[in-house]
Amino acid sequence: MATPKEMMTTWDSIQFGAVLPSFEDPKNKVRSKFNSFNYKVADWRVEKPVFNRNLCIDCDFCWVFCPDSCFEVEEVVNKRGKKQAKIVGINYDLCKGCGVCVEVCPTPIKSLLMFSEFVDNDDALKQWPKKEDKKD
Amino acid sequence: MKNITTLKEFACTPDRFNGGHRLCPGCAHGMIVREVINATDDDVVVSTATGCLEVCTAIYPYTSWDVSWLHIGFENAAAGISGAEAMYKALSRKNKSFNPDKNVKFVAFGGDGGTYDIGFQSLSGATERGHDFLYVCLDNEGYMNTGGQRSSATPIGAHTTTSPRGRVSYGEKNRKKDLTMIMAAHGCPYVATATPGSKHWKDMAQKAAKALSTVGPTFINALSPCTTEWKFKPEDTVEISDLAVETCMFPLYEIEDGHKLTINYKPKNKLPVEEYLSKQGRFSHLFKPENRWVIEEIQKEVDRYWEYLLRREEAGV
Amino acid sequence: MATKYELKSKEIWDGNTAASHALRQAQVDVVAAYPITPSTPIVQNYASFLADGYVDGEFVMVESEHSAMSACVGAAAAGGRVATATSSQGYALMAEVLYQASGMRLPIVMTVVNRALASPLNIHGDHGDMYLGRDAGWIHLIANNPQEAYDMTLCAFKVAEDKSVRLPVTTNQDGFLVSHTAQVVEPLDDDTAYKFIGDYTPLNPMLDTSNPATYGAQTEEEWHFEFKASQHKALMESPAVIDEVFAEFEKLTGRKYNRVESYKLEDADIALVVMGSAYETAMVAVDRAREQGIKVGLVMPRSFRPFPYNEMAEKLKNIKAVAALDRSCPMGAMGALYNEVSGALSANGQAAIMTNYIYGLGGRDTTAEHILEVIKETNENAKAGKRVTDLQGFINLRGPKLSFN
Repeated sequence: MATPKEMMTTWDSIQFGAVLPSFEDPKNKVRSKFNSFNYKVADWRVEKPVFNRNLCIDCDFCWVFCPDSCFEVEEVVNKRGKKQAKIVGINYDLCKGCGVCVEVCPTPIKSLLMFSEFVDNDDALKQWPKKEDKKD
Repeated sequence: MKNITTLKEFACTPDRFNGGHRLCPGCAHGMIVREVINATDDDVVVSTATGCLEVCTAIYPYTSWDVSWLHIGFENAAAGISGAEAMYKALSRKNKSFNPDKNVKFVAFGGDGGTYDIGFQSLSGATERGHDFLYVCLDNEGYMNTGGQRSSATPIGAHTTTSPRGRVSYGEKNRKKDLTMIMAAHGCPYVATATPGSKHWKDMAQKAAKALSTVGPTFINALSPCTTEWKFKPEDTVEISDLAVETCMFPLYEIEDGHKLTINYKPKNKLPVEEYLSKQGRFSHLFKPENRWVIEEIQKEVDRYWEYLLRREEAGV
Repeated sequence: MATKYELKSKEIWDGNTAASHALRQAQVDVVAAYPITPSTPIVQNYASFLADGYVDGEFVMVESEHSAMSACVGAAAAGGRVATATSSQGYALMAEVLYQASGMRLPIVMTVVNRALASPLNIHGDHGDMYLGRDAGWIHLIANNPQEAYDMTLCAFKVAEDKSVRLPVTTNQDGFLVSHTAQVVEPLDDDTAYKFIGDYTPLNPMLDTSNPATYGAQTEEEWHFEFKASQHKALMESPAVIDEVFAEFEKLTGRKYNRVESYKLEDADIALVVMGSAYETAMVAVDRAREQGIKVGLVMPRSFRPFPYNEMAEKLKNIKAVAALDRSCPMGAMGALYNEVSGALSANGQAAIMTNYIYGLGGRDTTAEHILEVIKETNENAKAGKRVTDLQGFINLRGPKLSFN
């Protein structure tokens, strides 16, 4: 709830009418300090999803079902010249660790798995199940 | 109308609804809102009724919206957006548009409390007046923002804090109001149901795209499974959405011009309602022997309604 | 482009007609309204202006007053000029949204044709509705006759939209007594009226979609107090703008308005405070009392909010006894005018004897004779140098005398 210290202001320097601008530089779509994109909800998390790029097929299910707009995508052009979204990472400032992305991930060995918040991502990738480990 | 065919392509849409909001982990609201406002390349102005979405996405000094957004009160999201839409028309007519080269779409979001109940009058009025806007009901079947009280969208048998299960109570006693049909009866050019099920992302996005490109008032009733008050694990939101559709507890259909009904998804094997109910804590008491009859009643009602939809579709009305 | 309306230099208008012409001349972008007696003719007139091509803005005929003010908020936040009209129960139904409009600093103009609040139901004029909205963060201007209803409505836009104010404004006129009483009104021609008000200056418009704005954020205990305080400051400092607008209006029309109006106060020993159409009745009573040798004057706040405390105290500095006449039943207290004026005087150590009269509820007639009685009673207090009458009396109430001491 609490406002970060650097955002605290006094009555004579608050936003007029409590109206908040989404962008600091609207032309270049630079989001303002008032945009929750710049807020952190990471401390809500107990477990975090870790993304394994090597297994990802870019189905983008995680992107569409993520309720917190965490999945970072890069627009690429496929072999047939069509644009498509490539998942490049997770914004851990915005991820609350709900685990939906892991549930909807369709690859035979999931390319997203939940790990404890305290596990390093590189270590997590090393612990990733191999094909032969998978029973069902 | 935005052409939405593959998710690979749709996912190139820059997000207009940002994380950093305070909705519960796994909340379907975020999924629905993102899909809806990403389903057009036109600019969007949004109004939101008081409720989970509102209190979690504009907590001063933060906003989660990359589009213009307005919250007034609980009961007036539709009235508020109708005013903004009227201003858009007036300024366009007077050649005073802010961005003359841009089209602006108007979207209102309300929970079931703000839509089925307290905001129904304002929604009905704005719809009857023919404003060009899309109203999306984020139907989580109760007043979840205030701790899970019943609404007229709460289904029979559900435990809520104001229709609690108890020694002599099986939970909610009344049928869920059929708001989608009521909105169709307004003669809206487009009315649909949707939910964030694993097979249905495209159904929802295409419905939003269609609604947004339709001139006049349109309405989407989106089932929004509530991890907190329906009592299921946050990661299961999409699965619960799937089960709602597979059991026909929440069928996916659309109605054009107030009468032409099309069912958008017919389960190959319609699952028994237990499959859906048993996954949610709010229905757990129904599995006690003395309440089993309620499940039977729910099944009967679901079967009857599904049959009704099939027949209506077949009849082309 | 809307067609110009050819007006004569003198028109016979009632208060509703006057207000609706002012809205038309302001070239309001969106009017969202719901009909209610006695303000209905305003929206009817506006609808016929639209039907005849005199208006090119949008007219949204909503399904309730709650939605009327909600649509006004949506429209104003979207970024254009907005107005509406209402009365009584409609005003009460809007109450929630009045606070939203002012909190978002939206310069909406609303003509309120004052009417009693039920129960029991009554369609006639009193100030119950205006008093209901007095803490809602709006500026409230008072018009005593159709000419003033026209003038105040034009001024309202200019005050509301001033960059240092940006607050909604109501212009109040008494139901039927002003709204339905035709009198001579000298209007401005369309161009002059619009030029006086000027073009609307948008501030953080939602429709500037290239620079999106979030309206209606939630501010809990960390922020809410700061917002209310800054809004209060804007209201408290709005008198400077109101005075400026009144001065400009005088230059244009020769009609001079003041935040505190007065009549024959210069040499007065006693004064009545009265607001609305009864002010003109009281002028007649004052003249008669003066014929009988009672040195009495009148005073009226033209702006009920912000309340002109200092000006009121200054006007009443030599007055020995004051009677404040409230056209609303305060239900367990003294009337608002009594409270405000008492506060204004005591803050400066002034010790006029204060009494309160409740009058005219639900459109009950208040004649010069009734007010003359009040003047005589007030004069008794002045002569005795202490209060010898009851603290609160009721004027023209049937039955045994009702008063509270």
